[in-house]
Amino acid sequence: MIELTHVSKCFTMGKSNQFKAVDDVSLTLRRGKVTILKGPSGSGKTTLLTLIGCMARPTSGRIRLYGIPAPGFIELPPTDGFDISSLPERFLTHIRRTTFGFIFQQFNLIRGISVLENIMLPAYPTGESHAVFHKRALELLNLFGITRLAASQVELLSGGESQRTAIARALINNPDVIIADEPTAHLDSTLSREFMDIIGGFKAHGKTVLIASHDPIVYESALADMVVDMRDGRITGTGRVS
Amino acid sequence: MNSRVNSQRNIIDYAISSLLRRKIKNLSLLALYMLVVFVVASLIFFVQALKREARLILGDAPDIVVQRTIAGRHDLIPADYSRQIAAIRGVSNAAPRWWGYYYDPNFDANYTFMVPPADPPKKGTIWIGAGIARLLRGAQKGYLVPLRNAARKTMLLEVVKVFPADSELVASDLIMVSPDDFQTMFNLPKGFATDVAVTVANPQEIVTVAGKITEQLPGTRPILKSEMLRTYDSLFDWRGGMQVVILSAALLSFIIFAWDKATGLSADERREIGILKSIGWETTDVLLLKFWEGIAISMTAFTWGVILAYGHVFFFSAPLFEHAIKGWSVLYPRFRLVPTIDPYQLAVLFFLTVLPYTAATIIPAWLAATVDPDSAMRS
Amino acid sequence: MMQHPAVIALLCSSFLISLMLLYAGWCGSRILLKWDMESGSSLQLILERRTYLVSTIQAYALTFQILSLFLFIFTADALHTQFVGAMCAAGSLQVNAYGYPTLILKLVNCLLAGVWLIINHTDNRGYDYPLIKAKYTLLIAMVPLVYMETVLQVGYFSGLHVDVITSCCGSQFSQGAKNFAGDLAALPAAPMKTAFFSAMAITGMSGIFFMTKGKGSYLFSFASCLTFIIAIASLISFICLYFYELPTHHCPFCILQKEYGYVGYILYACLLVGGITGAGCGTLTPFRSRRSLTTIIPSIQRRLAAVTMTCYTLFTLIVAYRMLTTSFRI
Repeated sequence: MIELTHVSKCFTMGKSNQFKAVDDVSLTLRRGKVTILKGPSGSGKTTLLTLIGCMARPTSGRIRLYGIPAPGFIELPPTDGFDISSLPERFLTHIRRTTFGFIFQQFNLIRGISVLENIMLPAYPTGESHAVFHKRALELLNLFGITRLAASQVELLSGGESQRTAIARALINNPDVIIADEPTAHLDSTLSREFMDIIGGFKAHGKTVLIASHDPIVYESALADMVVDMRDGRITGTGRVS
Repeated sequence: MNSRVNSQRNIIDYAISSLLRRKIKNLSLLALYMLVVFVVASLIFFVQALKREARLILGDAPDIVVQRTIAGRHDLIPADYSRQIAAIRGVSNAAPRWWGYYYDPNFDANYTFMVPPADPPKKGTIWIGAGIARLLRGAQKGYLVPLRNAARKTMLLEVVKVFPADSELVASDLIMVSPDDFQTMFNLPKGFATDVAVTVANPQEIVTVAGKITEQLPGTRPILKSEMLRTYDSLFDWRGGMQVVILSAALLSFIIFAWDKATGLSADERREIGILKSIGWETTDVLLLKFWEGIAISMTAFTWGVILAYGHVFFFSAPLFEHAIKGWSVLYPRFRLVPTIDPYQLAVLFFLTVLPYTAATIIPAWLAATVDPDSAMRS
Repeated sequence: MMQHPAVIALLCSSFLISLMLLYAGWCGSRILLKWDMESGSSLQLILERRTYLVSTIQAYALTFQILSLFLFIFTADALHTQFVGAMCAAGSLQVNAYGYPTLILKLVNCLLAGVWLIINHTDNRGYDYPLIKAKYTLLIAMVPLVYMETVLQVGYFSGLHVDVITSCCGSQFSQGAKNFAGDLAALPAAPMKTAFFSAMAITGMSGIFFMTKGKGSYLFSFASCLTFIIAIASLISFICLYFYELPTHHCPFCILQKEYGYVGYILYACLLVGGITGAGCGTLTPFRSRRSLTTIIPSIQRRLAAVTMTCYTLFTLIVAYRMLTTSFRI
């Protein structure tokens, strides 16, 4: 479970173009559930995703993670969850690496290297042996039906293939939480529905999913357990899809 | 521990693939880096080899050379002094030497004339060094060399021996003559010699003997072999160092170039690092990536620069440097340097090239590594 | 003398290290002043990023420093022929008053940089940068030392005047023959032997006690530092004699040469590493109470103690082996 309390994020603070991307957001994301952040562009969804996903630190407020396996080397005070708002970057990154899998709007695959290598990249600094995560990568390729693309250059992939590569990459370290930012922005309806099927698979495996999207196929899907409306960095409403 | 090794291996893999992906940028850097290492390495090897040669040759020099000075300038020494010196306890041999310089206006060159200590050439004949032979357009046995003596009369001396090429370093500009011819050549006052060569039986006694010589024969200056060695060493070091100082301008330009290349992250590179950080690479991991890239480039440039310099100095005799290091002259001995490199020289080379490059890339590497991960979200 | 390529290399590297540390010190002072772990402001993020730069600089500085320590010794050795009476590196270093101080300061800076890196590593393991103030205070304290070392080194090299032939007479007789003991004033061998082996034994015992009981880290650290100094004095006093098999050659640098199988490198490496880890072990003790480090520090200290004892044991074994197998007797 992820709990946010009065979280704000300001950019270029103190200067004339100070800009509050996230303004006093309090939110609880339940474990194993699918949460959708819904709102127009500029509503702060992406920033909120980066805060939850341990990619950035809030300017103020607290974010606590519960029930997520704590990295072995952290010396924790004896409570259930831990506060990630003021953790040093190396700890945040370690948590992110092992707990979160990201799927970006632009897919963000690295050009010039193959699909297989792209998928394996997040595992490089974890210290696992190459053979182990190589095997896992091949399994993931198989799972998403893109084994034949293993050696292809990412520039030559179609939209759907790129997305499946991006999803496979997000899963290489067996994360508990999947975060996706506008995943269907570059996909047609068929592929969007296929994507939601994959999300269904994640949910069935007990993973927590957080998606930011203004696509109805996503936020009106039966899989969504909670839909959070956002506007101008604030939450304007939370609802459950009936 | 195993995981540390694994993550390093993975990062090294990625570093090499990353370098290979940007061939053009990295090749230009590599080429320049190699050039810098090549130039500095050639310099160091050359100086070192010359020092070694000088040491070997001076090894045969007499333990003490006694000269006479008048008003601080070198003067002729009475040949009789050698007898007095030989009488000093500890001296095993003292012999007068006759040698001098001859200026040949036809070729603008200085020759060294010398009477060999034993078995001199017969009167009217000379032995010449290979450099002179070349200058006289391939003079060989039987060739008659015209030389002007002190009385401005031309003497014709016949070449009966040319010193072999192996001896070029010592004998290139040497002409050996008979004592009578030397006398006629330079019109030396009878009973005088250029200096006296002294051999001392026990090396520990050299300083004491030199002291006794100055006491007994005031106005003389004994020059010890060890002093000559020190002076030559120092001279070569100084010349080598001067070259390095001159090269420092080039070195500095290279460092600035390296810095520029490193800080100038293309948009593509920035994007790539942003993606790496967003998928879970930490700043330390990216720093390690940059570190391994730097090592790969440095080691490649260093190795190839050293290999090329080795060839340059020891196979081609360093055509780029010889004039600056060997000194100003017209007659240069042609000789092949003996390949000598040792870890110490490589260490000095490392300090002069790899160290500044590495230092220059620390901050750019850090700047690259601290790209914000959420910049990848916004691209 | 300043024109020798190796001298230029050494001066350049010292200069670079000083610059790097000066910059690191400046970053450090800013961090010390403005650090606020709790705030998520952009200044804090910038400072956190700076910490990476500082630790990278320090890691490179330590590497360069250790390399330049050895290069310095070797250069002194290469230059000894230029000075009348100097038999080896020890002689060159005595030509003027700056030689040995430079060497000692180089050594001290190596040790300090090593200890800093140990503290840095420990700090990184805690989730709230618990040692940050201590770390950067030490860094700022190092800056003047590094600067002083550079100045001393410049002083040393600029004060070296080669004994070349002068115009009036040989160098010997114009200045009078100088005589540098290529050997150092050495302490008497028999008491040093006792001191050396006892110091090693005490360090070993206190180390084992510390590793099993978890107490007495100060004693252990102090013992290992003292042993470091005694070991160096012993090297000069009697250890090197066994390697050279000469009763009067007290030079600590010749064992780095090929003739002695480069054994000097292993000996000095053991001493340096052992000294750094031993000192680092004790330095961490005051911070045991920090919340984020309560279990981390003891485990790090145990590992450091193990490394120290391994290094010192190796050193002692090599020395003892040599002493027992050679036919030379003092």
